[in-house]
Amino acid sequence: MSENKSNIKKVKNKYAKSGPLLLIAAPGILYLIINNYIPMFGIFLAFKNFSYKKGIWKSPWNGFQNFKFLFQTKDAIIMTRNTILYNLAFIVIGTVFAITIAIFLNALGDSIRTKFFQSALLLPNLMSWVIIAYMVYAFLNSDSGFINNTIMKALGKEDIAWYMERGYWPFILTIVYLWKNAGYMSIIYLAAIAGIDKSVYEAASLDGATKLQQIFRVTLPLLKPTVIIMTLMAVGRIFFSDFGLFYQVPMNSGALYATTQTIDTYVYRGLMELNDVGMSAAAGLFQSLLGFIIVVSANAFVRKVDNDNALF
Amino acid sequence: MFKKAISTILAAAMTFSLVACGSSDGGAQSAGSDNDTKTEAAATADGDYDQITYAFVTFNTVPDDTSDVEEALNEITREKIGVEVHLMPLSIADYTQQVSLAVQNGEIDIFHTLGDLGNSIASDMCYDITDMMDTDAKETKELFEEEWLKTTMQDGRLYAIPTLKPFALQPMLLYRKDIAEELGLNMDTVKTAKDLTDIFAQVKEAHPEMTPLAPVSQGDSGLTRWIPNIDWLGDSFASPTGVLQGEDMTVTSYYDLTDFEDYANLVRDWYSNDYIMKDAATTTSAAAELMSSGNYFAYSASYSYPLEDTAASLSAPSGYELGAIALGDAYLDTSSINAVAQVIASTSENPDAALKFLNLTYTDADVINTMLYGIEGRDYTKNEDGTVSYPEGQDAATVPYTAQLSCGVLGNFFIQWPLEGSGSEESLKWEDEQNHNAPSSPAMGFTFDASGVQTQYTAVSNVIQQYLPGIACGSVETESALAEFRQALKDAGYDDILAEKQKQLDAWVAAQ
Repeated sequence: MSENKSNIKKVKNKYAKSGPLLLIAAPGILYLIINNYIPMFGIFLAFKNFSYKKGIWKSPWNGFQNFKFLFQTKDAIIMTRNTILYNLAFIVIGTVFAITIAIFLNALGDSIRTKFFQSALLLPNLMSWVIIAYMVYAFLNSDSGFINNTIMKALGKEDIAWYMERGYWPFILTIVYLWKNAGYMSIIYLAAIAGIDKSVYEAASLDGATKLQQIFRVTLPLLKPTVIIMTLMAVGRIFFSDFGLFYQVPMNSGALYATTQTIDTYVYRGLMELNDVGMSAAAGLFQSLLGFIIVVSANAFVRKVDNDNALF
Repeated sequence: MFKKAISTILAAAMTFSLVACGSSDGGAQSAGSDNDTKTEAAATADGDYDQITYAFVTFNTVPDDTSDVEEALNEITREKIGVEVHLMPLSIADYTQQVSLAVQNGEIDIFHTLGDLGNSIASDMCYDITDMMDTDAKETKELFEEEWLKTTMQDGRLYAIPTLKPFALQPMLLYRKDIAEELGLNMDTVKTAKDLTDIFAQVKEAHPEMTPLAPVSQGDSGLTRWIPNIDWLGDSFASPTGVLQGEDMTVTSYYDLTDFEDYANLVRDWYSNDYIMKDAATTTSAAAELMSSGNYFAYSASYSYPLEDTAASLSAPSGYELGAIALGDAYLDTSSINAVAQVIASTSENPDAALKFLNLTYTDADVINTMLYGIEGRDYTKNEDGTVSYPEGQDAATVPYTAQLSCGVLGNFFIQWPLEGSGSEESLKWEDEQNHNAPSSPAMGFTFDASGVQTQYTAVSNVIQQYLPGIACGSVETESALAEFRQALKDAGYDDILAEKQKQLDAWVAAQ
C-alpha cells in the first residue's frame, strides 16, 4: 500500500516536472494531431470508389482497384527507380556536402565572415522552386540561355537542346538540389559540431593531432549520431520526391521523363486529368507504407550494428 | 496514461471541430451581416427565400465583396422565382479543387464543368435534372437543339446544361500584319497549315532574327487543331486518344492517322529550318507574351468568333496589329458543346431553386449581365448602341466587380451585352449560324463514360504528355519518336481505351 502511494507520488512528481514542458510542446502536438493524424481517416478513400453524393463513409468499397494505375505501365519501374536513386544520391552527396560546409564554417570561428557565408548559403533555400526553375532556365534555354550562348560558343561546340536531352538531367538535378539544400542541411551539423566538448580538441592537439586528423578522428566520429538520425529521417521519405525539383525545374518537359519522372510527378500528371480522389489517396498510402517499412527496417539495422544510435 | 492520451486527443478533436465550425459560421455571418447593412427587410426575408450559391470561374480579378451584386440580383430573383443567390467567383487555378471540396460539403448548388463533365458525372457530382427541366427551366430547354442536350446526358438522363455560346471552333493563324504587308505576303493563298511553309520561308529570309511560328502554349504548336473533321470522343485536344475522322464510325488512334504523321513531319521540317521556336515544347510563355516580344511572326489556335473579330481582339495583348486566316473549317462534336456546362451539385439542398436560377441566366438579360458586369454606374456604363463600357477612368482591373471575361462560361452568350468595340450584330449572327450549320460529327451527342478504363487513362495521359509536345513542336525526330510513342501507348493499356470507346459507340449507334 505504502509502496503504491509512493508510486503515485512519483508519477505526480513526474507530471509536475514535465507539465510545463508538455505545455510548451502542446501547440506542436496539436498541430501534429490536426495536420497529420486526423486526415489519416482519409486512408479509407484509397479503397473506395468515391462518390460525392454518398460521401466518404457511404461510398462503395472497391478493393485494390485504385492502386492498379501505379503499376499499369513499365513506367512504374522507371519512376520507382528514379525516386529511390535520386533520393539515395541526395542523402549521400547531400550529407557529405553539408558536413563539409559545416566543418569549414566552424573552422572560420566566430567572425563576420561566418555569418556572411552562412546567410549566403541559406539564401537559396528560401527561394521557391518556381523561381529556381527560371534561374536554371536562364542557363539552359536553347535560344537565349547562358550556357549555349556563352560557354558552348567559347568552346566552339554545337548548341545543346538541354530540355530535350535526358542524359544530362541526373547531374543537373543533383547540382540544383545541392545548391538549394546543402547550406540549410549544414546548419544542423554546425550545431552538432558546436556542441562537441572543446576539451576533446585540446586533448587531441596536445597529443600532436593535426587539424586534418582532428576532423577525421574527432569531429566525424562524434557527428555519427546526428548523421544516423538525419539519414534515418531521410530514408523514411525515400519514396517521396521533392515535387518542385522534379516538376518545375525540368519545365515539365516530356522528353525528359525517363530521367525526371518520380512517383509524385507521375501521380500528379496522371490525376491532373482525372481528378480522382480515390486514386490520389491510394498513391499517397502506397508511398507512406513503403516509407514506413523502409524506416523500420533501417532502424532495425542500425539497432543491430550500433544500438545506442537507433532512433527507437 | 492511456486515458489521458485519449482525453487529450478528444480535446484536440473538439478544439479542431470548434475551429472548423467557427470559421464556417464566420463566413456565413459576414455574408449575412453584409446583407443586414443593405436593408433590414432583406435580413428578415432571408428565411422566406431559398438560398443558393453559384460557383464560377472568373478570369478577371476575384472581387473582394460580391454582396452588392448579389443584392442587385436578388431584387430580380426574389420576385421572379423566390430565390436568393450568393455568388462565389473563383480563379481558374483554384476552381476545380475548390468546387470539389465545396460539393463534398454541400456548400454550393451550381457550378460548371471545364471539359470534365464525364468525370463529374462518374464521381456523382451532378444532380439528375431530367425531370425538372420542363417545370423549372422550360424556356432554356427551348433554346437548345435536341442534339445539343444529348451531349450532357448519360444513359438518357440529363446532368447538365451546356453554356450557350459560339460552339464551333475554327483553326486559325494569327499573324503580324505589318510583316505581311512589308514582305507583300499573299496570305489568301493559305488554305491549310501545309501552305505555311512558303510563307515562313519568306519571313525567315527577310528577317533571319525572327522565328516565324510561336506555340500557343507549352508544347502546343497548333498541330492538333489542323487535322480536319475530328470527333474527339470526349478527350481534350491536348490529350487525344481514340477519335473518329469524318463519317467513318471506327474508333481510330489519333496517332495512327495519316494526317497526324503528315503534320508531324511538316512541323519537324519547320523545326529543322528554324521556322518554329526551338523551345516550343518546353516554354512556359503563352502566345500573346511571345508575340509581344516582337521576335515571332505568327501562332495558330482555334477560336469561335469571326476572323476579323478574333484578330481585332487579340491585337491588344499581342502588342501588334494582327491578321487572321482560317487553316480549316469548324467542326462540331460532343465535346465542343459540353466542354463548359452548368451543373447542379448532387449535394444541393435546393435543386429546384438552383435550376430556376440557371434558367434565368439563359433567358433574363438583366440577371446574366449583372453577374458579368456588376452594378450599373459603379462597375459599368451602358452605351446607346447596347454595348457596355467601364466607367470614366476605370478599367477591368480597377472596378470593384466585373467577371466580363467569363462571358463564354456563364449562361447564354447571345443575350449578353457586348463590351464596347466587340460583338457586332453581324458577328453574333455569324456565330449563331455557325452553331447551327457547321458540319458536325456523325457521333454528335455520344458521350464516353471513362469510368471503366480510368486506370488506363491515367497511364496513357502520362505517356501522351511525355511524347506529344515534342512531336507536335518538331523537336524530336518524328519517325523514331512516333514508333516509340505508339509502343509506349500500347504498354500503358491504350488498346483497352480504344476498345471501350468502340464498344460504347456501337451501343450508342444501335440505340439511335
